[in-house]
Amino acid sequence: MKRKVLSVIMSAMMVALLAGCSGGGNAGGAASSAAPAASSEAAGAASSEDAGGAGDAGDASYSVDVILKTLASEYWSYVKAGCDAYAEEHPNITVDVKGPASEQSYDEQQNMIETDLASGAYDAFVIAPLQGEQVATLIAGQTAPILAVDTNIVAPEVLSFVGTANEDAAKEGGLAAVAAAKEAGWEEVTAICIAGTQGDSTAQARLDGYQKGVEEAGGTFLANETQWGESNPEKAVAAMEAIMQNHPEGVAIIVCHNDDSAIAAAKAVRDSGNEAFANTIFCGFDGTKTACRAIIAGDETMSVAQEAFDMGYKAVEAAVAALNGETLDPFIDSGCSVVDSSNAQSRLDQLNVYYPE
Amino acid sequence: MKKRSSGLMDYAGTFGALLILCIIMTIASDKFLRVNNLMNILKQTSFNALVATGMLLALITAGIDLSVGAVATFAGCVAGFLLSRGVNNALILILVMLLTGTAIGTINGLLLTRLHLPHPFVSTLGMKNVLWGASLIVTNSQMIAFSNRGVDGVLTLGSATIAGFPVSFVVVIIIYIIMHILLTRTSLGRSIYCVGGNPEATRLSGINSANVLTFCFAVSGFMAALAGLVTIGRSGICNGANAIQPYDTDAIAACIIGGASFRGGKGTMIGTMLGALIISVLRNGFTLLSVDSSWQNLVLGLVIIGAVLLDVIRGRMAANALRKAAAAIK
Repeated sequence: MKRKVLSVIMSAMMVALLAGCSGGGNAGGAASSAAPAASSEAAGAASSEDAGGAGDAGDASYSVDVILKTLASEYWSYVKAGCDAYAEEHPNITVDVKGPASEQSYDEQQNMIETDLASGAYDAFVIAPLQGEQVATLIAGQTAPILAVDTNIVAPEVLSFVGTANEDAAKEGGLAAVAAAKEAGWEEVTAICIAGTQGDSTAQARLDGYQKGVEEAGGTFLANETQWGESNPEKAVAAMEAIMQNHPEGVAIIVCHNDDSAIAAAKAVRDSGNEAFANTIFCGFDGTKTACRAIIAGDETMSVAQEAFDMGYKAVEAAVAALNGETLDPFIDSGCSVVDSSNAQSRLDQLNVYYPE
Repeated sequence: MKKRSSGLMDYAGTFGALLILCIIMTIASDKFLRVNNLMNILKQTSFNALVATGMLLALITAGIDLSVGAVATFAGCVAGFLLSRGVNNALILILVMLLTGTAIGTINGLLLTRLHLPHPFVSTLGMKNVLWGASLIVTNSQMIAFSNRGVDGVLTLGSATIAGFPVSFVVVIIIYIIMHILLTRTSLGRSIYCVGGNPEATRLSGINSANVLTFCFAVSGFMAALAGLVTIGRSGICNGANAIQPYDTDAIAACIIGGASFRGGKGTMIGTMLGALIISVLRNGFTLLSVDSSWQNLVLGLVIIGAVLLDVIRGRMAANALRKAAAAIK
């Protein structure tokens, strides 16, 4: 690990020096294209050495590359923790986990995939695609085992999809939210979604899943009143204020793209003192530690949790199985659950084991 | 120094646009023209109005501050970090936030004036990325909640109301009055316009441009941190991932709609306030009507282009009038 950090720092310094020396308008371009390649090579070299040195005589040593949607969020930290846990348990397997700066950094992820596929440093790839179609094009013709995690990639090169479809998980949330609303005394169960970013496939899948769940449970989903909160708590608050304005009679369920939006929307209601929304069910997504604490404190009603740690662990496990010649199921379910006041504490304890404070 | 707008008639166009927008929204949604909703608009304006204050100073000096949104988020994340480490004194958290913002703003200014980076676009763009990463590092990439943690004082600015009127907007009004006086009635204010409008004249008149620019960016950092405090009060959370949200573009839009120019030397607090209100009314009205965010962005883009276009046409007409007057004298 130290070697990787050192190599990245050295690479960055070298590129900065070279860029500074070269001067002129091309320096920026040189820096941006050279940096990922240099750091990737260093990472690849380090991982090959590690794998060779640590492997048992009887065990095959493999190097698995995991490219996630980002590492800059709690949810993806859990996926990474699962991948790292597998590597820790299997010293002959080297796992490199990386991801772009944000879930909107499409080009950055594309560059990562291109660089790593061409590096020859990895035996198998686990990819959580930001844009499935784009990744399908990038991996066309690859012979190394490739698995999709969290979000599927429709391509013949992909051996298996490890995860829970966002739509299916959100549907579970919709079903649970309607049940909770009925329990809270709502006779007419209406639901509005504070969705993510318009045009984002994950946001759309969660929106569709919520709608299916709510409608299947007998609720009314006000699809044409969907608010696009863009995962921004400030916008979620503004959206909730508009919902309260439009529905003075109250709305039974607010389903949200993530926990940030759900907690922010619930706070907007508390601050307004609007009694019509006092029993509104706020359903978030991700089941993060903060969400668990918010649910325990009553600041959020429930959260849909994809089992991110298991997802990471199972994805690397499947990749190794494929390298060992085993045939994989095309879909490996990593599971999902709905976190509410009854199980928030136990989930929080579990997350603290996976990802200590 | 370019001629500064002073008469209320200078704002007639922007104010008229705001009025027309309100009339359209009132016709489109029967929920728009209600006291509750008007208060919501003021709450929703507070964040952008505060961030736009700093942005205006940067624009007047012919600069820009792309790090304002990241400063707001980072200041909140620093407070969240301290909270997670057991610091639960609201006053300390607020002071740390404001000091953090001011310090980062000062660094932005020093990068420009003492290390001579070519344009604040470079330093503040770099700072935006630095703060994005730093926000994620200090929060360990986790969202941090402030509610029910014994720090209600941190939430007050963004959530408290006085007879229904948001405290955050009261603070905005006070700050705008102070900044208006600073810009129009003090030598420092005149220096700020000078630095942006005519750097050569500024140098010849003995004004210390470096100090003036550093002051502007420090104020920008302070205002961004204050905006961060407002958004924590409204949402109850901070999340480092939000450091990359395009808060800066809304702030630039408010200033430009209000009459500021990228060429510097122009812009007022009243105009910026009208610009911020126009953006909030647009977003609030569209949200009430559940209009897709794609259409919201499209219309906001057109409003910005329209405002700048009007400014350019007005400038050309004034230049033509001057030319004709000069020709007539000859």
